[in-house]
This record gives sequence, C-alpha cells and structure tokens, in this order.
Amino acid sequence: MNTILKIIKLSKSFGGLSALREITLEAKQGQIVGIIGPNGAGKTTLFNCLTSLYYSTGGQIEFQERPIVPEVAETKRRLIKSCAMLFFVLGLIWVPLFWSSIVPHTFFKVEVVLLGIFILSIRFFLVRGLMRFQIWAWGLIFVFLISDLWFSIWWLTHLLSLGPMIGTGIPLYYFTVPWGIIAGPFSIYLISQLVLRKVRQLYGFRLGPDAICRLGVARTFQNIRLFFNLSVLDNVKIGFHVQMRSGVLGILLKTRSQRDEEGLTEKEAFKCLRFVGLDGRAFDLAGALAYGEQRRLEIARALASNPQLLLLDEPAAGMNAQESSELIRLILKIREKGITVLIIEHDMKVMMNLADNIYVLDYGVLIADGTADEIRTNPRVIEAYLGGGTAHAAT
Amino acid sequence: MRWQLYKKDPRFVFLSLIFLAVLLPWLPLGASTNYVLRIMTTAVLYMILALGLNIVPGFTGLLDLGYVGFYGIGAYTSGLLSIHYDLSLWVILPLAALNGALWGTILGAPTLRLTGDYFAIVTFGFSELVVLVLRNELWLTRGPMGLPGISPPSIFGHPLASDWEFFYLILLLLMIVLLVVTRLQNSRLGRAWFAIREDEIAAQCCGVNLIRYKVTAFAISASIGAMGGAFYAKWFKFIHPDMFKFWESILILCLIVFGGMGSIAGTMLGALILIPLSEVLRAVLPQGLFNARYLIYGLVLVLMMRWRPEGLVPFKRAQAKKAKLAQERLEI
Repeated sequence: MNTILKIIKLSKSFGGLSALREITLEAKQGQIVGIIGPNGAGKTTLFNCLTSLYYSTGGQIEFQERPIVPEVAETKRRLIKSCAMLFFVLGLIWVPLFWSSIVPHTFFKVEVVLLGIFILSIRFFLVRGLMRFQIWAWGLIFVFLISDLWFSIWWLTHLLSLGPMIGTGIPLYYFTVPWGIIAGPFSIYLISQLVLRKVRQLYGFRLGPDAICRLGVARTFQNIRLFFNLSVLDNVKIGFHVQMRSGVLGILLKTRSQRDEEGLTEKEAFKCLRFVGLDGRAFDLAGALAYGEQRRLEIARALASNPQLLLLDEPAAGMNAQESSELIRLILKIREKGITVLIIEHDMKVMMNLADNIYVLDYGVLIADGTADEIRTNPRVIEAYLGGGTAHAAT
Repeated sequence: MRWQLYKKDPRFVFLSLIFLAVLLPWLPLGASTNYVLRIMTTAVLYMILALGLNIVPGFTGLLDLGYVGFYGIGAYTSGLLSIHYDLSLWVILPLAALNGALWGTILGAPTLRLTGDYFAIVTFGFSELVVLVLRNELWLTRGPMGLPGISPPSIFGHPLASDWEFFYLILLLLMIVLLVVTRLQNSRLGRAWFAIREDEIAAQCCGVNLIRYKVTAFAISASIGAMGGAFYAKWFKFIHPDMFKFWESILILCLIVFGGMGSIAGTMLGALILIPLSEVLRAVLPQGLFNARYLIYGLVLVLMMRWRPEGLVPFKRAQAKKAKLAQERLEI
C-alpha cells in the first residue's frame, strides 16, 4: 500500500495561539484513519489546513506525493519580505521622480498626485500579496519590475538631458542615477527569480480550496453545510462541478456536449444518491431532510467530486445507535471503493469499529498514534480525556 | 383539465401571458392604446433589467447597488455608436453587451474579493462614477447637454416608429434574455452561483472557484443591463446623465426584492406589478400629491416585508417547484 497523504510537521497559529504544533500524520491508500481528541484540540483546524480553508503557518502537506502545501523555510520568507519592502520603498522614490522628470509641468496637479498615490498603494498591497504567496501579486510585480527596469535604463542613458528638480534647482540626476544603479540590477534579480515554475518550487503557491478539491480531496463539515434551499439532486450535482467542463458559451448555445454532460451528470448523481440511500428523496429540498439524511447527503456531495481522500468531520454527531451503525456500514462501503477516509469522531464505538489507525490530538499536539487497542490503553490518552487527576486516581 | 395543466406547469401560464402580450397592441383600447403600450414597454424593459440584476444579488447572493452604471454604459455605447457610425441595432446590441461585460469584469475582478456590505459600497461608488464621467467628459458624451438625435432602430430597412413596433422589439429582447437566464440557471454555472449564494465555504470545498464565478456572474449581469440600456437609447432617442442616477439602481433592486430574490418568475412579476403601478398612481393621485407615489411604493414594500418577507415567489419555493417539475418530467 502506498502512502496517499503525508503531513509533515504542520503548524498553524492564530496570532499568538498555536492551534496545531508540528503535527505529523500519514495515511495509506484505502485506510480509514481516525483523529480523536478533546474539544479544542485542533482536529477541525487540521482539516481546514488540509483543504486550504486556513493557510498553515509551517510544515508541509503532500498528497499523492505532490506537495499541496510546500515547505517554505523561515529564511526564505524573511527574504521575500525584505525584497518586497525594498520594492515598496523604491516605489516611494520612483513615483515623484517619474513625474518630475517625464512630465514636469503636471507635477502639482491634483489628478497626478492622486494617481501617484494610487500607484504607490498598489505597490504597497503587492507587498502584502507577496507575503501571502498570492499568484496575482507575482503577476503584477512582474509588470512593475519591468517598468522599473526600463526607467532605470532610461534615466541612466538620459543623464544630462534631465533638468533640475522642480522648485529646488538641484539637478535631477543626483537622485535618478543612484536610483537607476540600484533599481536596475535589483529588478533584473527579482525578474530572474520570478519565472513562474521556479517560484512555485522555491516559494510555493498555496492551492486554494477549489484546487484542492480538484486534486481529489473532498470533505464534510462539523456543522452541516449543505445548500439548504436547493434540491437534494442539485446539491449532489454541485459536487460534480469539478468533473464537468462546460463553459458560458456552451451553456448559452446548449451545445451537444453540454447536453450530454448534463444528462450524464444527472445519471451519476442518482447513482451517488443511491449509494448513500437517498435516491427516494432526490427532488426534495435539502433543508427538508432529517438530520441523519443531511449528514449522508453531505457525504454524497463529497463523493460526487470523485475524491481519492475523503475527510469526514464528526459524521456521527447527534445520531442514534441505529443511524450510526448505518453510517459505519456506509463508510466501510466507501473504503471498498478504494477511497481513503480521514475521520474525526467523538463516538468511540464508531471509531473502534472503523479506524485502522488512530491519531490523538490534545491542545494542538499529537500525543499518540496507533491501532484502536493501543490507543485505548495509552495512559496519555486517558489523561487527556479524563484529566490528570482522574488518571492518577485510576492508577 | 386545462386548468390542471396551468396549475401544474408554470410554463403554460407564461405562454398564455406571452400570448396576451402579443395581442395587447390590437386590443380595442381606443385613444389610450399608445399610452398603455408605452407603459408596457417600460415595464418589459425593467423586466429585462431586473432579470439581469437578479443574477448578482439573486443567484450569487452579492448586493449590487451599482447596476444602473452598466445600464448607462450600455445606453451611451448605443447612442454614440448610432450617432457617429450609424450602425444597425443588431450590431449595437451585442457591442453594448460586450462593453457592459468588459466594465463588469474590470470592476468585478479586483472588488469581488470584498465581502457583503463593502462590495455593495464599491458598486454604489461605481454607478456614481459612471454618472460623473458621463456628465463631465464633454468631448465624448456632451455632458449635461445629453445626446439628442439618436436614430431609431430599423429592421430590414424599415425604421421603427410606432409604439407597437417597439413593444414587439422589447418583447423579443425579453425572450432572448429569458432564454439566456433560464439556461444559465439550469447549468453548471447556475448551480455554482447558487452554491456561492447558499454557502461560500461549502461551495469552495466543492471545487467552485469563488472569484471566477462571481466575476462571471457580474459580467453577465452587466452585459444584460447594458443591452437594456442600448434598447433604451434607441427607443427614447435622447439620453442624459441624469437618467442613470442611483435611484434607478434602487428601483430595480426593489423590483427584485418585491418579486423574490433569485426566482426568475418572481423577478418578472415584480417588474410587471411595480412599474405600471407608478403610472396608475400618476393617474389616480391628485396633482399636488403626485410625488407621493414613491411613498406608496415604500408602503407596498413595507407591507410586503410584513406579509411575504421573501418576495412574491420566494427562492426556496421556486427551487422546490423546479425540482417537482423535474421529477414529473422524469416519471412521464
């Protein structure tokens, strides 16, 4: 069995509070992996990091041997930050110089000042975007850098033709020449760093939640998040979103391929609903379903995106014994399809029946892992669940 | 038997309404025929606008207060193109729609990252900006002097002049817009919009790229608005920046809220009731109280909020109805 998911030293902190501390976790193809822990242990945070709803602050995640949250070294982060700040400061000099040398007579016009402030603020926001590893920031900074490079060359070649700075009489080239000398090589350096694929390797783009879903990770939510005002069938069809291709033009012209795709989706959606036993209620609104059925519909929606890895966040919460035993059967059926399941659950009976491997979290730290029996007898787990005093009393 | 059919399928109701609309110019209304036709043309125009706006707050769940900006852009595109280049309506309509979509994308791409109220404020600013540009860029729009002398549209070399011709033209446009909107609603795109409306986080985790689909919604909505504006310019033959003030946005939003956000039938019903209502009030109210008709508008909306807070045709019920129809179609 090959490893499908590998989480290596994943950390997440909200300001000063660290919700996850260097979690290391592994799931093999076709396994059911359980995650347990007391309330506030960081189980859901882990899922949110996995689906990119939160951006983790350290560590890395590999899915099917492909890094979906790449490792970014702290030194590199600092380098990016300082480069970006330098870029912003250069912009502070660049904008007034640009106006005073290229079009001097417009220097004191309100529109020009506003435009300058606008450009500066774009540069400033770029810095923030860069630090969050956002793609658009890399694209925009590329444009800015090329313009910077161009101007530094222009200034260096037009050394003597530049007049004095407005209002002061100081020759402009005192400012422009050093700036050109700094900004030119600096832009060349950054541009060379900005070749897209290289950036992806070096600094790591974060994939958004939708891209994660496209890769084959689907999830359900602790508090049910269905599209309550839509029909059950439509809910599942939205799950098929990533597998469909049709675009605006195809939809408006109702091309053959679009119609075929729509028909196929409907058929597949019914298959999905039959799998969780909801095909009889396909045309009801999702909000009208009973609680257990809503849970199952959420699973059906997640399965619709054809995932390799399914994350279930407390699927048995609020279910009675019969419903939860049905759920266990359903999850085993999902496993038979070859889908790896990662499951958070409080109901220990469900967990003991299902999980091949259990990880225990407490206050964001991984305190134990192993099979169900190992976990049951692990003193640290008992302590975490029952409190230190009780554990001592028991021994 | 027939009545059962009506109750079962809203399409029959719709088809009979269309039939009535087509008959309208030939009803013996005497001297007031043209007056009625003009009111109905306005009502259908607002139907188109409301259907277009409905895509953003109704389908995607984002409050858009700047819709009239796109309406104005469409109107001025149409007016300028027909004055300077004398193009045919069938060239102008797609060009205006494209221009609207362009501005929708330009406005939407950076601002759709904002959430809720912040986005509404930005769109509001945009519509004010459009009016300011229209008013001040004299070289392009002639500013407060307006754009007079827009040539009427012509079909096969026959220039449209009478009211019934315009009425039929706008009915045709309504059909096109309706087709577009229903097709979008029942497709992958429409479902993605609904998902965003219902729950953004769940939508993201189902693989819906929020920004992309929000921008698409915004662009399509803008292009429909611009198309409405293009017709308006051709119909009225004179446009002025004041016609595209903020109040219009609120009015169109009212139509949607009144009819039911997100349901196509409700949106159309809202326009069909509220727009002629203003004309009825104009006739009913005494001269001095004439401007009080907006007060009555407000009253209608307040009553609406009390008795049917989700509009005439609530989104939820429209979806339930749709599902039921799909079920029946499957069983037959």
